[in-house]
Amino acid sequence: MIRYLLKRLFWMVPLVVGISLVSFLIMHLAPGDITTTEAGFNPKASEESRQKLREIYHLDEPLIVQYGLWLKRMGTLDFGTSFASHQRPVFWEKKDDQGNVTPGMIQEALPITLLINVLSLALIVVIALPLGVISAIHQNRPPDRAITVFVFVGFAVPGFWLALMLMYWLGVVNPWLPISGLHSLGYENMGMLGRLWDLGRHLAIPVFISALSGLAGISLFVRNGMLDVLHQDYITTARAKGLPENTVIYRHALRNALLPLITLLGLSIPGLIGGSVIAESLFAIPGMGKLFYDAVLMRDFPVIMGILTIGAVLTLLGNLLADLAYAWADPRVRRGVMR
Amino acid sequence: MNRALRNPLAFWGFAIIASVLVMALLAPVLAPYDPDAIDVKSILIPPSATHWMGTDGLGRDVFSRMLFGARISLLVGFVAVGIATLIGVVLGAISGYYRGWIDVVIMRMVDVMLSIPTFFLILAVIAFLTPSIWNIMIVIGLTSWMGVTRLVRAEFLSLREREFVLASATLGARDYRLIFRHLLPNSLTPVIVSSVLGVASAVLVESGLSFLGLGVQPPQASWGNILTEGKEYIQFAWWLSFFPGMAILLTVLGYNLLGEGLRDALDPRTNGKGKN
Repeated sequence: MIRYLLKRLFWMVPLVVGISLVSFLIMHLAPGDITTTEAGFNPKASEESRQKLREIYHLDEPLIVQYGLWLKRMGTLDFGTSFASHQRPVFWEKKDDQGNVTPGMIQEALPITLLINVLSLALIVVIALPLGVISAIHQNRPPDRAITVFVFVGFAVPGFWLALMLMYWLGVVNPWLPISGLHSLGYENMGMLGRLWDLGRHLAIPVFISALSGLAGISLFVRNGMLDVLHQDYITTARAKGLPENTVIYRHALRNALLPLITLLGLSIPGLIGGSVIAESLFAIPGMGKLFYDAVLMRDFPVIMGILTIGAVLTLLGNLLADLAYAWADPRVRRGVMR
Repeated sequence: MNRALRNPLAFWGFAIIASVLVMALLAPVLAPYDPDAIDVKSILIPPSATHWMGTDGLGRDVFSRMLFGARISLLVGFVAVGIATLIGVVLGAISGYYRGWIDVVIMRMVDVMLSIPTFFLILAVIAFLTPSIWNIMIVIGLTSWMGVTRLVRAEFLSLREREFVLASATLGARDYRLIFRHLLPNSLTPVIVSSVLGVASAVLVESGLSFLGLGVQPPQASWGNILTEGKEYIQFAWWLSFFPGMAILLTVLGYNLLGEGLRDALDPRTNGKGKN
């Protein structure tokens, strides 16, 4: 297992280099340099802040030196300080000489987005699994047809539009759910359970919206996977030896149909992280997506570059985790790995 | 194509797409009002006989704006997918035909692009450029070619080992003949399917960007930015956000149905599976 892990880590090196190149390229896409107004930099910004930006990215140095310095920044995960929010550090907290701690922006936003993504992944699995299995068992009969319609509509619904509609129906017309932020007023005075309940009510619509598009894809995927497995010889054998149908489906078929799902869930991480932009900015949830959107509007380049990099690193870690989980779950891969 | 349209999914998808397309093409004829004409006397009128989908906060006719918005949304979808498909086919063909180090390099490029959350990537690029409809198309195209590349590469890898290709190579056919006569035509089916599905996601991305105010800029109408206005008036004027949302939903549904239907109809493997 350790050897497998090391091998996988080794394969990530060219990817990290590639990510650094892409982000470096993006930074140099802008006409002129990024401190000019053509690049959308705030025309009212002082010459001083412009100079600061040039210093941070060493824009006066030759390109190759700039890239080397950018690599160094990525390596130490130090993305400098934000322009827009009183020089807060972009990634992690910093202590000044007096021992005052300024919390990092990504440090605060990341756990919120991770929480939403973990909850929506869980919701996806809990709903998509049974839907896919039911669909496969009743292939081409009414339950399958109904689920297929749901899947296609789920794929096609623009998430932000549904979010808007739900906000209107559940927040304005029937004010059942809060529609903004993470906590209600007086959150500090609530008990443990009260806090959880409050958080849950705030996250209900955003988590549902973020799960919806993945839901459709994954239930279709489970359906097709189950159909593939159900036509294999060992299933016929299991039925022939008189096992109850439920045992055949849940113990023999489902387990094998589930394996590829691990990889797929790993692959859906960048989509979920990217998708958080719209839901978080609509519901004013202070996660990575909203942070990124605000940074784009303010042209807050250090924050943009920091989130882009951290987002990519998270995706790589997610894929690595998925691969390890797959190796752990599939005895064929596990044995191959051990050797 | 005939075989494809007998598939119910593909048929309904095609029907939806064709009607949206006709409405977009005939927008100047069908639109009852000038989509940009401001009329202060008829602000926020609910849907009625004179204004089928009501009017917006500036008194513009929403139905007319939807028709012209369809042109923009579809144009962005087509051009973006065109760019992505072109890049994907070229890179995938090179990768699958020549293999070796160039294949390794191209596949690592694909992995890199796939590991950066797409929507972040698009937003970041747009932050450094001025938002315009052309920039949007290019950016969506440049960030969505990876799937096609993998598809074409896989097709090329398996096709170039097949007898008819080997035979042609043995007879002395050159690279370009093998690629353009034998390999490319035989790998078009999955490319067509994936471009049809690609239009659906490009339309979604464009509307999302416009909704965030980073896509097609007002006063030019696109479904996404009509929705943005709807967001501000949501308490008084449901029709402003309802109709563009439904239009996006139907269009995306249409392309997804056609894409999946084509896949079912044209792919012999899934064809056989349903009959067991």
